[in-house]
Order: sequence, then C-alpha cells, then structure tokens
Amino acid sequence: MSPEVLVSMLAELERIRELTLDLVEKAAPRLLPAPPDEAAGAERTVFELLLGARRAVLGNPAAARGLHDLLVAEGRRYADTPAGAQLRDALVASDAVENLRRIWETVSLNVLDGPASPNAAPDAWAELLAEAIIGHGLDDSVLSRLRPEGFA
Amino acid sequence: MLNDPREALADQSSFVSYLVGLAGLARVVHALANEGNRRAGGAREANEIVYLLMGLSSLGEAIERLAESAPTQGPRAAETLSSPSTNTRWLR
Repeated sequence: MSPEVLVSMLAELERIRELTLDLVEKAAPRLLPAPPDEAAGAERTVFELLLGARRAVLGNPAAARGLHDLLVAEGRRYADTPAGAQLRDALVASDAVENLRRIWETVSLNVLDGPASPNAAPDAWAELLAEAIIGHGLDDSVLSRLRPEGFA
Repeated sequence: MLNDPREALADQSSFVSYLVGLAGLARVVHALANEGNRRAGGAREANEIVYLLMGLSSLGEAIERLAESAPTQGPRAAETLSSPSTNTRWLR
C-alpha cells in the first residue's frame, strides 16, 4: 500500500470520526445545548468557549486524556520543589480554583477521570456517551417500563 | 523545504505564539492562586485540577527561563518572548 493511499485512509478516517461525532450530538443534544436566547456579549462568548472545550474533550478523548495526564504528572513533579509546594498550597486555599474545578467538571462531564488504557479513550467517556445515547433512545413510555431500575 | 529555511518563515511561525500562550496561562495560574487566596478554615487536599494547573505553571515557567537564557534578552521576559528577534532565533 503506497504512502499516498495510507494518508488518504487517515484523512477519510478523520472525516468519518467527525461525521460520527455529529451523529452522536444529534442523538444526544443535551451534550451540546444551544446557548440561552438572552445570552449576549461576554456571556455568550464564555458559553461558546465552554461548549468548545466540551466538544474538544468529547471529540478527542484519547488526546485530551493524554494531555491531562501529562499536565497532572508535571504538576506533581513541580509540587516536590519548594516553589511548587508554595504554589500548590496557595491554589488549594483559593476559592477561585474551587470555582474553576466546578466549572471544569461540568464542562468535561468528568470523562477524563477514572481508568483508561494507554493511548485509548477513558472508560468514563464511553460510558457517558452510551448512557446519553441509549438513555435517550429508551426515553419511550413503553420501553422505559421494561428498563430495569439502575440500567443506563 | 525544511533544509532550506528562509527568514520570512520565522516571522510567520506560530510555534513561538504557542509558547507565549503557555507562558501567559502560567501567569493566570499565579493570578488564581493570589486572587482567591483568602479561604479560611481547615486545609484541603490538592486535587487533580490543582496539579493540572501546576503543570501549566511549570511549563510556563520553563518557557520563561528559555527566554531569559537568550543572549538578546531584555529586562522584561514578556517583551523578550514576543520580540521578532527571539522568534527568528528559535526557529533557526
């Protein structure tokens, strides 16, 4: 197989990935809600920024997890230095960081946490999408009666 | 061609802009630490978001050290990072 064909395959796989993500968003619109009508100016910009961050994480889970793990590992290493320990203590005591944590967990839906195979999407990502899509599909009055309690 | 670099390429490179952006994020982390550093009461454990922010800070500081070690460095790191001469030198 020639290099040109391999590159074409990669480009096509990327196109399929984008189209699949579009389908997932259509099947689970709550993952990408429309901005509130009254939002304007800075509020709308922030909303779109947060939504863009969520789309980047949900659309590239393995890459996002890799970047997340790299930064956390570097942060732990830095925390072992005197300057890093000082910064860590200040961040832990900061209300602004606590607010940021809440925002991040809402935006990322915690899909980067928990177990993940190396260079693979985290398990929580697959579970979230399955729950969002299947749960939405079972939102039928007949089927919902057949759904056991606790079943996603 | 990669083996035939031209000076204009250095001016158009986004790479230094990435580095400057990371250095800027590191300063935001310090601002967060200083801005909200008024929480009273018991100590809390550092969670992953704290270490993630510290990772950003560490990378930013490493980038600033790169700029500080440059021979043409001026008195202020931010100006040095964004100067065209630094961009050109790094690309080479």
